[in-house]
Amino acid sequence: MKSNFRQSMKWLHTWVGLVVGWVLLFMFLTGTLGYFYQEITRWMEPERPFVEHNISTEKLMDIAQSYYDEHGVGISEWDILLPTERDNNLRVGWREPKKEGEKRSRYKTRVLDLNTGEQVTTRETGGGRVLYRMHYRLHYLSTKISYWIVGFCTMLMLLAVVTGVVMHKKIFTDFFTFRAKKGLPGWLDSHNVLSVIALPFHFMITYSGLIFFLFTYMALSTDLQTTKEEYREMRQEIYPRTAHLDSANEPMAMQRISTLYQQVKADLPSNELKYVTVFSANDINAQVLFVRKDSDITYNPNDEVMVNGISGEFIKLVPRDYTGAGMVHNGFISLHEGQFAGPIARWLYFFSGLIGTAMIASGLILWTTKRKPKQMKRPDGPDLGYRLVDQLNIGSIVGFPIAIAVYFYANRLLPVDMVDRAQWEVDIMFISWAILLIYPACRASGKAWLEQLKLAAFVFLFLPVVNALTTDKHLLNSLIKQDWNLASFDLTSLVIGICFVFSAFKYKALGLNKNTKQQSVKLPNKQVPAKNEAILLMQKAHKDHSEC
Amino acid sequence: MLVLISLSFSTMVLFCLAMAKHREQVLQREISTLSVTFFRPLAWVLLAFTAYMSINMFGWSIGGAVLFGALMVASLLLILLLTYQATIIPHIAIVLSIFVSIYIMVD
Repeated sequence: MKSNFRQSMKWLHTWVGLVVGWVLLFMFLTGTLGYFYQEITRWMEPERPFVEHNISTEKLMDIAQSYYDEHGVGISEWDILLPTERDNNLRVGWREPKKEGEKRSRYKTRVLDLNTGEQVTTRETGGGRVLYRMHYRLHYLSTKISYWIVGFCTMLMLLAVVTGVVMHKKIFTDFFTFRAKKGLPGWLDSHNVLSVIALPFHFMITYSGLIFFLFTYMALSTDLQTTKEEYREMRQEIYPRTAHLDSANEPMAMQRISTLYQQVKADLPSNELKYVTVFSANDINAQVLFVRKDSDITYNPNDEVMVNGISGEFIKLVPRDYTGAGMVHNGFISLHEGQFAGPIARWLYFFSGLIGTAMIASGLILWTTKRKPKQMKRPDGPDLGYRLVDQLNIGSIVGFPIAIAVYFYANRLLPVDMVDRAQWEVDIMFISWAILLIYPACRASGKAWLEQLKLAAFVFLFLPVVNALTTDKHLLNSLIKQDWNLASFDLTSLVIGICFVFSAFKYKALGLNKNTKQQSVKLPNKQVPAKNEAILLMQKAHKDHSEC
Repeated sequence: MLVLISLSFSTMVLFCLAMAKHREQVLQREISTLSVTFFRPLAWVLLAFTAYMSINMFGWSIGGAVLFGALMVASLLLILLLTYQATIIPHIAIVLSIFVSIYIMVD
């Protein structure tokens, strides 16, 4: 038992953070990439065409409808996913007829070539979606087990956020304080700054993450209190859909969607339109729903306009009937996913996610930094626990980003016609991560950090080069075609590579300084001040840490 | 969005200048106690204005979320500048304030 409440909170914060820190790091990093999963998928399917700048929305609709007329026989409900800032290609999507043994039919999108109007055949890849799904659906584990593990870790994260606020005594007075010093003070300030400046995001993302799977985590409550029918009703209340007519099985030719669009164009200009859904296509009950890019975090009924697919008449939509609780739930989920975010707000989400990842990483490093002096004094070297944490830190904080880069390399280098290609991409990523987790066990800690930092710098800097050598969607072409979507991927990879180069240099410089200082301690005239300075620094850092 | 980040930066600079330890880092010379007392209230006023601008630009719901994002970026920028280049902070704050003023006048 600790002496006071704050000390108890500090103890809880430290151990809660350590126990699930690496899983949280994995979840935060993959979740952060999820904010750009469509962009990543587009990069990972280099067969897709470059962006077409001067093409009207009506023409895009005509291309999509012609494709559907030819290939969508028997499909009643389908979507036209118009090019947006996130995905510059025209796509159509619908649920495939359910195959035998499948629980649900699969929704499949097809990228269309604007010149031929045909589907673009892309390589088999998991794309950004697999990375994004990993943050809540741990890849090799079953859905149920994944949700429970993720829920457990998220609950502990929420606890760490709350205890972190309680134990931070100077949350306002030290709001801007960052001492760029090596060792404990530096890491302590980094952890504090990264935690405090994005605290609303950390709290929101953790809490909303928990309510995603409320029916799993609150299963006892729902299973015991509701029948199957009541459960279905409750789900419909929480996730209401826009009401539409079902097919009457009376075939009738629909108007062109581009013609129908002329009627709603004043309300929904091309630059605001996100997608079009056709219900009961080519049936007497055909309805076409035009949907605007999200203009509200919760729900704005004015974002949708529906017209009759045969007569072209406006259909007065009944707004989705959200309950109060359903609206709050929907709001939190929307905040978590950031679906409403435009390009700059999406980058803000991305940076917030990176800050969250860095916060967890700095917390993990802080644990070892604080214990390092004591551990180094042990006659038989650091104990197993310390070494394990240090090795896991190296393999996760630097090793996992390298593994993600390897996933992108696999996408470019594996044979295009390989069987189970998408699965192999992921397998290669996890195999490389496993190697990078084991590697520090065979090397001295300092060397392992430096070597993995150098490797990370190399893989990220070299990725655009491999892209240029294997596809025509390289940085130069992307810039010439003004395809910012594709260019951003390569540029981001270069920036990350530069950050790792900087980190490696900084780490090496610190190591050299340490060696120089150790040598200078041997000189009698420098011994006293060097020792005093070190002692004072350590005392101050420990004092700061116990105060926070 | 850049306007919001600029406004957030100026807000955070004012909050920062209201603290004696950071004032010494940022300003080369002593300033009157009277001016110092105005920093914090001014910062709150500017924060309220930033929130108003955010809501005005993005609506009630999205505006709130974007405001926190802008404040986060501005805080991070300010903290890094405080550590590595504290003396240029007032210059940046002035330039950004001019940028915001021009934007508001033109808009």
